[in-house]
Amino acid sequence: MLQTKNLTKNFKGLCAVNKLNLNIDAGEIVGIIGPNGAGKTTTFDLITGFLQPTDGNILFEGQDITGRKPHRIAKDGIIRTFQLDRIFHHFTVFQNVVAASNLVARIGFWEAVWNTSTYSRKDKNTWDHAKKILQFIGLHDKKNEIARNLSHGHQKLLGIAVALAANPKLLLLDEPLAGMNPVEVTRTLETIGQIRGRGIAVLLIEHNMKAVMSICDRMVVLNFGTEIARGSPEELKQNEEVIQAYLGTEENAA
Amino acid sequence: MKLGKNLSLSLLLIFLFVVPLFIKSEYHLHILILCAINIILASSLRAISTVGQLSLGHAGFMSIGAYTSGILVMKLGLSPYVGLLLGGVAAMVLAAVIAYPITRVRTVYFAMLTLFLGEVIRLVITEGRDITGGTSGLLNIHRLEPISILGFHINFTTRLPNYYFVLIFMLVVLLFLYRVDRSYIGMTFKAIAQDESLSASTGINVARLKAVMFCIGCLIAGLTGAFYAHYVSVITPDSFGLFTSIYILIYVVVGGANRFAGAIVGAFILTLIPEMFRTLKEYQPFIFAAVLFLVVFLLPRGIVDLPVQIKIMVRKT
Repeated sequence: MLQTKNLTKNFKGLCAVNKLNLNIDAGEIVGIIGPNGAGKTTTFDLITGFLQPTDGNILFEGQDITGRKPHRIAKDGIIRTFQLDRIFHHFTVFQNVVAASNLVARIGFWEAVWNTSTYSRKDKNTWDHAKKILQFIGLHDKKNEIARNLSHGHQKLLGIAVALAANPKLLLLDEPLAGMNPVEVTRTLETIGQIRGRGIAVLLIEHNMKAVMSICDRMVVLNFGTEIARGSPEELKQNEEVIQAYLGTEENAA
Repeated sequence: MKLGKNLSLSLLLIFLFVVPLFIKSEYHLHILILCAINIILASSLRAISTVGQLSLGHAGFMSIGAYTSGILVMKLGLSPYVGLLLGGVAAMVLAAVIAYPITRVRTVYFAMLTLFLGEVIRLVITEGRDITGGTSGLLNIHRLEPISILGFHINFTTRLPNYYFVLIFMLVVLLFLYRVDRSYIGMTFKAIAQDESLSASTGINVARLKAVMFCIGCLIAGLTGAFYAHYVSVITPDSFGLFTSIYILIYVVVGGANRFAGAIVGAFILTLIPEMFRTLKEYQPFIFAAVLFLVVFLLPRGIVDLPVQIKIMVRKT
């Protein structure tokens, strides 16, 4: 489904991502792990067009999407979330999801201005779509709350709802569990499983090792922008290099 | 609730159409026309700002419209109505040309670029003496041509027909901008204003929508400038200086940038206040500053927030 070929990004001599070859198939959950500064978020930025690669290609469903703009890649079906709580803070929960549904809404400028009957129909469809997303993610009872007043855990969930509203085929989650309490972590992992159940492939960055190992089919380990290991969670638990680069340092840091 | 709103809106409309019949003074009518012009300008500036862009060059686009129409009508003998349209189109074309670089920068940078753009436009007009008349400007610009509607012969030499002309123009502009604001597109605009990257990540074409709104705002400014030129029949480069742009911005801020009615209320009140203190002409900037200070400190969300604040106060007591 998604393939990166020798994906490389240099920032003024610093190699953030080095010849990365990722491969994600439909319906998979793949994790990217690695210490801070390993190039994980940069990889997301490259795949979704927020950064242009120095070298290499990105293929999605057989098409070369390298160099396309973020909104165009979103239209192709790759939707990302951001670290921290990137949501529309001044909107209500419902407005967040409605605004993010524009790829489903497909409402043209003049259509909206003239208030045509097609517009009313599309507008209603969008509302239904948003409602379904919120029910799925479990935030429908909070739909009229202003987003910035939500708890951190709910804001993170809303971030996922916003991404889902854009109808992804491939969802990139950037640290979806960061800052969550154990109850919220369990619930979010369940949600990610259900997202896969809808036929959406998931690529996620996460530091919570236990959680990420419990949910991923495969994992890729990055260090200094270079892939140092890949495989199933069980395989990686045995891998010396991984333990040293990542699992080990986390213990030391703690 | 909705019925009450519609009723009061209808009454307001009727009032706007009937009120000039009771105003005998040409001067008072002139003030009302200025109010309408400022309401249009402030609302179009607010429309640009809903996408998160703060333009300080609005008067520049107004002058493009005014000069284009004035020159075309005076030098080429076009009908003022054609000139009016072409004036608006000229402002929009300029906006479209510079939209590509200008909408790619944000907030303060956008404000700076538009500020200098407005000044560049003013300087070019000042220096192009052969065509624009330089600092002395264009004099004796033709009035709008007389028209006949339903047997009524309307001659634009007096204030009254000009009032109706600008009133209808204002209502059309406001209706259009209101639809944009309240529709799904308006919501997309507000999403862009809050977080451009997040908007782009959900598939919103941020750069294009920002450019579209900028062009529409400038089109409206150009049309208004062109009308102004034919209405007052004298324009100079200083009619549309940096201060004009800043005043338009103040109308929006004082009225309340977050609400559609804000720009309207702000422009209306702040056009009337200086006229009430007309005898203190030199002190007008002080009065402006005083009003601005009061509003910023007491009503940070603008004058339109006053009813809400009063409700909160009443509930407390």
